[in-house]
Amino acid sequence: MTQRLAGLLIILLLQTPLATAADDIPLGVMRINGLDAPGLKLDSIDGDPYDLSTTGGHWRFVHFWASWCGPCRREMPSIQRMMPLLEDTDLEFVIVNTAETEDAVFEFLGIVAPELVPLMDTDGTVTQVWMPRGLPSTFLVDPEGKVQYLALGDREWDKPAYVAFLRRLAGTDHK
Amino acid sequence: MHNKRINSLSLLTHAALALALSIASGSFVAAMEKPYPGPFFENDELLMVVIPRTAEQMAAFYEARGFPQRAIDTVTATCFVTIHIDNKSRHITWLETANWQLTSQGKTLDILGSEYWDASWEQIDLPQAFRSTFFWTQLPPVVDLHADEPVGGNIVLPGNIEHFDIEANFRTGADKQGEPLQVRFTDIECGTTQAQP
Repeated sequence: MTQRLAGLLIILLLQTPLATAADDIPLGVMRINGLDAPGLKLDSIDGDPYDLSTTGGHWRFVHFWASWCGPCRREMPSIQRMMPLLEDTDLEFVIVNTAETEDAVFEFLGIVAPELVPLMDTDGTVTQVWMPRGLPSTFLVDPEGKVQYLALGDREWDKPAYVAFLRRLAGTDHK
Repeated sequence: MHNKRINSLSLLTHAALALALSIASGSFVAAMEKPYPGPFFENDELLMVVIPRTAEQMAAFYEARGFPQRAIDTVTATCFVTIHIDNKSRHITWLETANWQLTSQGKTLDILGSEYWDASWEQIDLPQAFRSTFFWTQLPPVVDLHADEPVGGNIVLPGNIEHFDIEANFRTGADKQGEPLQVRFTDIECGTTQAQP
Protein backbone atom coordinates (compact mmCIF):
# COMPACT_ATOMS: atom_id res chain seq x y z
CA MET A 1 0.00 0.00 0.00
CA THR A 2 2.80 2.35 0.87
CA GLN A 3 4.40 1.67 -2.49
CA ARG A 4 1.13 2.27 -4.32
CA LEU A 5 0.54 5.54 -2.50
CA ALA A 6 4.10 6.63 -3.09
CA GLY A 7 3.76 5.89 -6.77
CA LEU A 8 0.53 7.82 -6.96
CA LEU A 9 2.07 10.75 -5.16
CA ILE A 10 4.96 10.82 -7.58
CA ILE A 11 2.59 10.80 -10.53
CA LEU A 12 0.52 13.59 -8.99
CA LEU A 13 3.57 15.69 -8.37
CA LEU A 14 4.78 15.23 -11.89
CA GLN A 15 1.58 15.88 -13.74
CA THR A 16 1.35 18.89 -15.97
CA PRO A 17 -1.91 20.34 -17.24
CA LEU A 18 -3.50 18.24 -19.95
CA ALA A 19 -4.04 21.43 -21.91
CA THR A 20 -0.37 21.46 -22.79
CA ALA A 21 -0.22 20.41 -26.39
CA ALA A 22 -3.55 18.69 -25.77
CA ASP A 23 -4.31 18.59 -29.47
CA ASP A 24 -1.34 16.36 -29.97
CA ILE A 25 -2.11 13.87 -27.23
CA PRO A 26 -4.78 11.26 -27.94
CA LEU A 27 -7.52 10.38 -25.49
CA GLY A 28 -6.37 8.49 -22.45
CA VAL A 29 -2.71 9.40 -22.73
CA MET A 30 -1.40 11.66 -19.98
CA ARG A 31 1.75 13.72 -20.12
CA ILE A 32 3.96 13.53 -17.09
CA ASN A 33 7.17 15.41 -16.55
CA GLY A 34 9.57 12.60 -16.76
CA LEU A 35 11.86 11.39 -14.11
CA ASP A 36 14.30 8.66 -14.91
CA ALA A 37 12.58 5.44 -15.80
CA PRO A 38 12.77 2.83 -13.04
CA GLY A 39 15.00 -0.14 -13.60
CA LEU A 40 13.79 -2.79 -16.00
CA LYS A 41 16.13 -5.70 -16.32
CA LEU A 42 14.43 -8.95 -17.22
CA ASP A 43 14.73 -11.99 -19.44
CA SER A 44 12.38 -12.50 -22.34
CA ILE A 45 10.21 -15.59 -22.62
CA ASP A 46 12.87 -16.84 -25.03
CA GLY A 47 15.53 -16.42 -22.38
CA ASP A 48 17.21 -13.35 -23.86
CA PRO A 49 18.32 -10.76 -21.32
CA TYR A 50 17.07 -7.17 -21.60
CA ASP A 51 18.05 -4.03 -19.75
CA LEU A 52 16.14 -0.81 -20.47
CA SER A 53 19.02 1.31 -19.22
CA THR A 54 21.25 0.08 -22.03
CA THR A 55 18.81 0.78 -24.86
CA GLY A 56 18.68 4.59 -24.98
CA GLY A 57 18.61 6.82 -28.02
CA HIS A 58 15.06 6.13 -29.07
CA TRP A 59 11.54 6.09 -27.62
CA ARG A 60 10.35 3.00 -25.77
CA PHE A 61 6.75 1.75 -25.43
CA VAL A 62 6.81 -0.02 -22.06
CA HIS A 63 3.68 -2.07 -21.51
CA PHE A 64 2.64 -4.09 -18.45
CA TRP A 65 -0.03 -6.77 -18.73
CA ALA A 66 -1.31 -10.11 -17.49
CA SER A 67 -3.41 -12.66 -19.31
CA TRP A 68 -6.00 -12.91 -16.53
CA CYS A 69 -6.87 -9.24 -16.93
CA GLY A 70 -9.79 -8.70 -19.28
CA PRO A 71 -8.75 -5.27 -20.57
CA CYS A 72 -5.25 -6.65 -21.22
CA ARG A 73 -6.73 -9.39 -23.36
CA ARG A 74 -8.74 -6.87 -25.32
CA GLU A 75 -5.82 -4.53 -25.80
CA MET A 76 -3.06 -6.93 -26.77
CA PRO A 77 -4.31 -7.63 -30.31
CA SER A 78 -4.33 -3.89 -31.02
CA ILE A 79 -0.67 -3.74 -29.99
CA GLN A 80 0.09 -6.60 -32.32
CA ARG A 81 -1.72 -4.78 -35.17
CA MET A 82 0.04 -1.49 -34.37
CA MET A 83 3.55 -2.84 -34.52
CA PRO A 84 3.79 -3.26 -38.32
CA LEU A 85 2.30 0.23 -38.74
CA LEU A 86 5.35 1.61 -36.93
CA GLU A 87 8.03 -0.73 -38.13
CA ASP A 88 9.66 2.05 -40.18
CA THR A 89 10.30 3.94 -36.92
CA ASP A 90 12.80 3.15 -34.21
CA LEU A 91 10.12 2.97 -31.51
CA GLU A 92 10.93 -0.02 -29.33
CA PHE A 93 8.23 -2.22 -27.83
CA VAL A 94 8.96 -3.48 -24.34
CA ILE A 95 6.16 -5.83 -23.36
CA VAL A 96 6.29 -6.98 -19.75
CA ASN A 97 4.18 -9.79 -18.38
CA THR A 98 3.39 -9.44 -14.70
CA ALA A 99 3.88 -12.48 -12.50
CA GLU A 100 2.68 -15.27 -14.73
CA THR A 101 4.23 -18.53 -15.83
CA GLU A 102 5.71 -19.15 -19.25
CA ASP A 103 2.95 -21.63 -19.94
CA ALA A 104 0.22 -19.09 -19.23
CA VAL A 105 1.90 -16.45 -21.36
CA PHE A 106 2.67 -18.80 -24.22
CA GLU A 107 -0.88 -20.12 -24.26
CA PHE A 108 -2.33 -16.61 -24.41
CA LEU A 109 0.06 -14.88 -26.79
CA GLY A 110 0.21 -17.86 -29.09
CA ILE A 111 -3.40 -17.15 -29.95
CA VAL A 112 -3.81 -13.39 -29.84
CA ALA A 113 -0.36 -11.95 -30.54
CA PRO A 114 2.09 -14.65 -31.62
CA GLU A 115 4.75 -12.20 -32.80
CA LEU A 116 5.19 -10.55 -29.42
CA VAL A 117 8.12 -11.68 -27.31
CA PRO A 118 7.39 -10.49 -23.78
CA LEU A 119 9.75 -9.95 -20.92
CA MET A 120 8.93 -12.11 -17.92
CA ASP A 121 8.54 -10.31 -14.59
CA THR A 122 8.07 -13.67 -12.97
CA ASP A 123 7.53 -12.49 -9.42
CA GLY A 124 5.97 -9.11 -10.25
CA THR A 125 8.60 -7.08 -8.44
CA VAL A 126 9.65 -5.01 -11.47
CA THR A 127 6.02 -4.11 -12.12
CA GLN A 128 5.68 -3.06 -8.48
CA VAL A 129 8.60 -0.68 -8.87
CA TRP A 130 7.06 0.96 -11.94
CA MET A 131 3.74 1.24 -10.09
CA PRO A 132 1.27 1.41 -12.94
CA ARG A 133 -2.19 2.70 -12.00
CA GLY A 134 -3.52 -0.74 -12.88
CA LEU A 135 -3.15 -3.40 -15.52
CA PRO A 136 -2.78 -2.90 -18.38
CA SER A 137 -0.59 0.19 -18.33
CA THR A 138 1.73 1.72 -20.86
CA PHE A 139 4.57 4.15 -20.24
CA LEU A 140 6.36 6.04 -23.00
CA VAL A 141 10.03 6.52 -22.25
CA ASP A 142 12.00 9.11 -24.21
CA PRO A 143 15.45 8.60 -25.76
CA GLU A 144 17.09 9.98 -22.61
CA GLY A 145 15.37 7.40 -20.44
CA LYS A 146 12.76 9.71 -18.94
CA VAL A 147 9.14 8.59 -18.55
CA GLN A 148 7.18 11.25 -20.46
CA TYR A 149 3.70 9.80 -21.00
CA LEU A 150 1.36 7.37 -19.31
CA ALA A 151 -1.58 5.70 -21.03
CA LEU A 152 -4.61 5.25 -18.80
CA GLY A 153 -5.99 1.76 -19.08
CA ASP A 154 -6.36 -0.11 -22.34
CA ARG A 155 -6.17 1.74 -25.65
CA GLU A 156 -6.89 0.83 -29.24
CA TRP A 157 -3.31 1.40 -30.23
CA ASP A 158 -3.77 0.70 -33.93
CA LYS A 159 -6.24 3.59 -34.30
CA PRO A 160 -4.88 6.48 -36.38
CA ALA A 161 -4.72 8.94 -33.47
CA TYR A 162 -2.40 6.70 -31.47
CA VAL A 163 -0.28 5.65 -34.44
CA ALA A 164 0.15 9.30 -35.48
CA PHE A 165 1.03 10.29 -31.92
CA LEU A 166 3.68 7.60 -31.64
CA ARG A 167 5.05 8.57 -35.04
CA ARG A 168 5.41 12.15 -33.84
CA LEU A 169 7.31 10.94 -30.81
CA ALA A 170 9.56 8.80 -32.92
CA GLY A 171 10.17 11.73 -35.26
CA THR A 172 8.71 10.10 -38.32
CA ASP A 173 5.39 11.90 -38.69
CA HIS A 174 5.98 12.54 -42.36
CA LYS A 175 2.86 10.73 -43.52
CA MET B 1 -20.62 23.00 -0.64
CA HIS B 2 -23.18 20.27 -0.43
CA ASN B 3 -23.28 16.61 -1.08
CA LYS B 4 -25.05 15.33 -4.12
CA ARG B 5 -27.01 12.37 -2.79
CA ILE B 6 -28.02 9.70 -5.18
CA ASN B 7 -30.91 7.40 -4.57
CA SER B 8 -30.19 4.05 -3.06
CA LEU B 9 -30.22 1.07 -5.29
CA SER B 10 -31.55 -2.22 -4.09
CA LEU B 11 -29.37 -5.11 -4.95
CA LEU B 12 -32.18 -7.56 -4.32
CA THR B 13 -33.48 -6.79 -7.78
CA HIS B 14 -30.26 -8.07 -9.23
CA ALA B 15 -30.31 -11.64 -8.06
CA ALA B 16 -29.05 -13.16 -11.24
CA LEU B 17 -25.42 -12.38 -11.64
CA ALA B 18 -24.34 -14.79 -14.30
CA LEU B 19 -20.80 -13.75 -14.94
CA ALA B 20 -18.12 -15.15 -17.11
CA LEU B 21 -15.16 -16.20 -15.05
CA SER B 22 -12.97 -14.18 -17.34
CA ILE B 23 -14.23 -11.05 -15.67
CA ALA B 24 -14.53 -12.58 -12.23
CA SER B 25 -11.75 -10.46 -10.99
CA GLY B 26 -8.99 -8.32 -12.21
CA SER B 27 -7.75 -4.86 -12.65
CA PHE B 28 -10.63 -3.52 -14.68
CA VAL B 29 -8.80 -0.69 -16.31
CA ALA B 30 -11.18 -0.40 -19.20
CA ALA B 31 -14.50 1.24 -19.83
CA MET B 32 -17.40 -1.08 -19.03
CA GLU B 33 -20.19 -1.51 -21.52
CA LYS B 34 -23.86 -2.33 -21.01
CA PRO B 35 -25.36 -4.58 -19.90
CA TYR B 36 -23.49 -4.09 -16.67
CA PRO B 37 -22.85 -7.31 -14.75
CA GLY B 38 -24.29 -6.03 -11.48
CA PRO B 39 -26.15 -3.23 -9.73
CA PHE B 40 -24.97 0.14 -10.87
CA PHE B 41 -25.30 3.89 -10.63
CA GLU B 42 -24.70 5.99 -13.71
CA ASN B 43 -25.03 9.66 -14.54
CA ASP B 44 -23.08 12.11 -16.69
CA GLU B 45 -20.21 12.19 -14.21
CA LEU B 46 -19.77 8.69 -12.89
CA LEU B 47 -20.48 5.04 -13.49
CA MET B 48 -20.16 2.72 -10.51
CA VAL B 49 -20.93 -0.99 -10.78
CA VAL B 50 -20.99 -3.38 -7.82
CA ILE B 51 -20.55 -7.09 -8.50
CA PRO B 52 -20.81 -9.44 -5.52
CA ARG B 53 -18.79 -12.64 -5.92
CA THR B 54 -19.37 -16.11 -4.61
CA ALA B 55 -16.68 -18.11 -2.91
CA GLU B 56 -16.79 -20.52 -5.81
CA GLN B 57 -16.09 -17.75 -8.31
CA MET B 58 -13.12 -16.48 -6.37
CA ALA B 59 -11.75 -19.94 -5.77
CA ALA B 60 -12.06 -20.77 -9.46
CA PHE B 61 -10.33 -17.57 -10.50
CA TYR B 62 -7.32 -17.98 -8.24
CA GLU B 63 -7.10 -21.74 -8.75
CA ALA B 64 -6.87 -21.10 -12.47
CA ARG B 65 -3.91 -18.80 -11.74
CA GLY B 66 -2.20 -21.65 -9.88
CA PHE B 67 -2.72 -20.36 -6.35
CA PRO B 68 -2.07 -23.06 -3.74
CA GLN B 69 -4.98 -24.45 -1.75
CA ARG B 70 -3.92 -22.71 1.45
CA ALA B 71 -4.30 -19.37 -0.34
CA ILE B 72 -7.65 -20.40 -1.79
CA ASP B 73 -8.83 -21.25 1.72
CA THR B 74 -7.82 -17.78 2.87
CA VAL B 75 -9.64 -16.15 -0.03
CA THR B 76 -12.87 -18.11 0.35
CA ALA B 77 -13.10 -17.28 4.04
CA THR B 78 -13.79 -13.67 3.08
CA CYS B 79 -16.36 -11.69 1.11
CA PHE B 80 -15.32 -10.38 -2.31
CA VAL B 81 -17.06 -7.61 -4.19
CA THR B 82 -15.77 -6.33 -7.51
CA ILE B 83 -16.10 -2.61 -8.02
CA HIS B 84 -15.90 -0.84 -11.36
CA ILE B 85 -15.83 2.94 -11.64
CA ASP B 86 -15.64 5.14 -14.71
CA ASN B 87 -14.95 8.84 -14.28
CA LYS B 88 -17.23 10.15 -17.00
CA SER B 89 -16.69 13.78 -16.05
CA ARG B 90 -14.13 16.19 -17.45
CA HIS B 91 -12.55 16.76 -14.05
CA ILE B 92 -10.61 14.67 -11.58
CA THR B 93 -12.70 12.44 -9.37
CA TRP B 94 -11.02 10.92 -6.34
CA LEU B 95 -11.37 7.26 -5.52
CA GLU B 96 -10.55 7.13 -1.81
CA THR B 97 -11.94 4.03 -0.19
CA ALA B 98 -11.03 5.42 3.23
CA ASN B 99 -13.88 7.88 2.67
CA TRP B 100 -16.39 5.11 1.99
CA GLN B 101 -18.78 3.89 4.65
CA LEU B 102 -19.46 0.16 4.63
CA THR B 103 -21.99 -0.98 7.20
CA SER B 104 -23.82 -4.12 8.21
CA GLN B 105 -26.63 -4.08 10.75
CA GLY B 106 -25.54 -0.67 11.91
CA LYS B 107 -21.92 -1.64 12.39
CA THR B 108 -19.05 -0.22 10.40
CA LEU B 109 -17.05 -2.67 8.30
CA ASP B 110 -13.41 -2.30 7.42
CA ILE B 111 -12.10 -3.29 4.03
CA LEU B 112 -9.42 -5.94 4.36
CA GLY B 113 -6.51 -4.02 2.94
CA SER B 114 -2.93 -4.69 2.04
CA GLU B 115 -1.78 -5.01 5.67
CA TYR B 116 -4.27 -7.81 6.24
CA TRP B 117 -3.28 -9.59 3.06
CA ASP B 118 0.45 -9.13 3.59
CA ALA B 119 0.10 -10.74 7.02
CA SER B 120 -2.08 -13.52 5.64
CA TRP B 121 0.37 -14.32 2.88
CA GLU B 122 3.29 -14.22 5.28
CA GLN B 123 1.49 -16.70 7.50
CA ILE B 124 1.18 -19.23 4.69
CA ASP B 125 4.45 -18.27 3.00
CA LEU B 126 2.78 -17.51 -0.31
CA PRO B 127 5.28 -17.08 -3.15
CA GLN B 128 5.82 -13.52 -4.36
CA ALA B 129 4.33 -14.09 -7.82
CA PHE B 130 0.94 -14.98 -6.32
CA ARG B 131 1.11 -12.03 -3.96
CA SER B 132 1.72 -9.77 -6.93
CA THR B 133 -1.17 -11.18 -8.92
CA PHE B 134 -3.45 -10.87 -5.92
CA PHE B 135 -2.34 -7.27 -5.39
CA TRP B 136 -3.28 -6.30 -8.93
CA THR B 137 -6.75 -7.81 -8.56
CA GLN B 138 -7.58 -5.44 -5.69
CA LEU B 139 -9.24 -2.05 -6.01
CA PRO B 140 -6.55 0.54 -5.31
CA PRO B 141 -7.36 2.56 -2.19
CA VAL B 142 -6.50 5.94 -3.74
CA VAL B 143 -6.64 7.03 -7.36
CA ASP B 144 -7.05 10.48 -8.87
CA LEU B 145 -9.29 9.44 -11.72
CA HIS B 146 -8.78 11.64 -14.76
CA ALA B 147 -11.40 12.39 -17.38
CA ASP B 148 -12.64 9.16 -18.94
CA GLU B 149 -10.42 7.06 -16.72
CA PRO B 150 -11.81 3.75 -15.45
CA VAL B 151 -10.64 1.79 -12.45
CA GLY B 152 -11.67 -1.53 -11.03
CA GLY B 153 -10.83 -4.34 -8.72
CA ASN B 154 -12.01 -6.18 -5.67
CA ILE B 155 -12.74 -4.96 -2.20
CA VAL B 156 -12.74 -7.66 0.45
CA LEU B 157 -14.70 -7.78 3.70
CA PRO B 158 -14.68 -10.22 6.59
CA GLY B 159 -16.54 -13.40 5.70
CA ASN B 160 -18.83 -13.42 8.71
CA ILE B 161 -21.35 -10.94 7.32
CA GLU B 162 -24.38 -11.56 5.18
CA HIS B 163 -25.66 -8.24 3.91
CA PHE B 164 -24.12 -4.82 3.88
CA ASP B 165 -24.45 -1.30 2.49
CA ILE B 166 -21.90 0.86 0.69
CA GLU B 167 -21.87 4.64 0.82
CA ALA B 168 -19.18 5.71 -1.63
CA ASN B 169 -18.04 9.30 -1.24
CA PHE B 170 -16.01 10.94 -3.98
CA ARG B 171 -14.26 14.28 -3.79
CA THR B 172 -13.76 16.05 -7.09
CA GLY B 173 -11.33 18.47 -8.66
CA ALA B 174 -7.57 18.40 -8.58
CA ASP B 175 -7.68 20.25 -5.25
CA LYS B 176 -10.56 18.08 -3.98
CA GLN B 177 -12.64 21.21 -3.54
CA GLY B 178 -15.23 20.47 -6.22
CA GLU B 179 -18.76 19.31 -5.55
CA PRO B 180 -18.62 15.97 -3.72
CA LEU B 181 -20.50 13.00 -5.03
CA GLN B 182 -22.13 10.28 -2.98
CA VAL B 183 -23.42 6.96 -4.26
CA ARG B 184 -25.24 4.42 -2.08
CA PHE B 185 -25.85 0.75 -2.63
CA THR B 186 -27.97 -1.09 -0.08
CA ASP B 187 -28.50 -4.67 0.98
CA ILE B 188 -25.61 -6.21 -0.88
CA GLU B 189 -25.48 -9.91 -0.23
CA CYS B 190 -22.05 -11.23 0.56
CA GLY B 191 -21.20 -13.95 -1.90
CA THR B 192 -19.72 -16.24 0.70
CA THR B 193 -23.13 -16.79 2.23
CA GLN B 194 -24.39 -18.19 -1.07
CA ALA B 195 -21.57 -20.63 -1.15
CA GLN B 196 -22.17 -22.12 2.26
CA PRO B 197 -24.47 -25.10 2.73
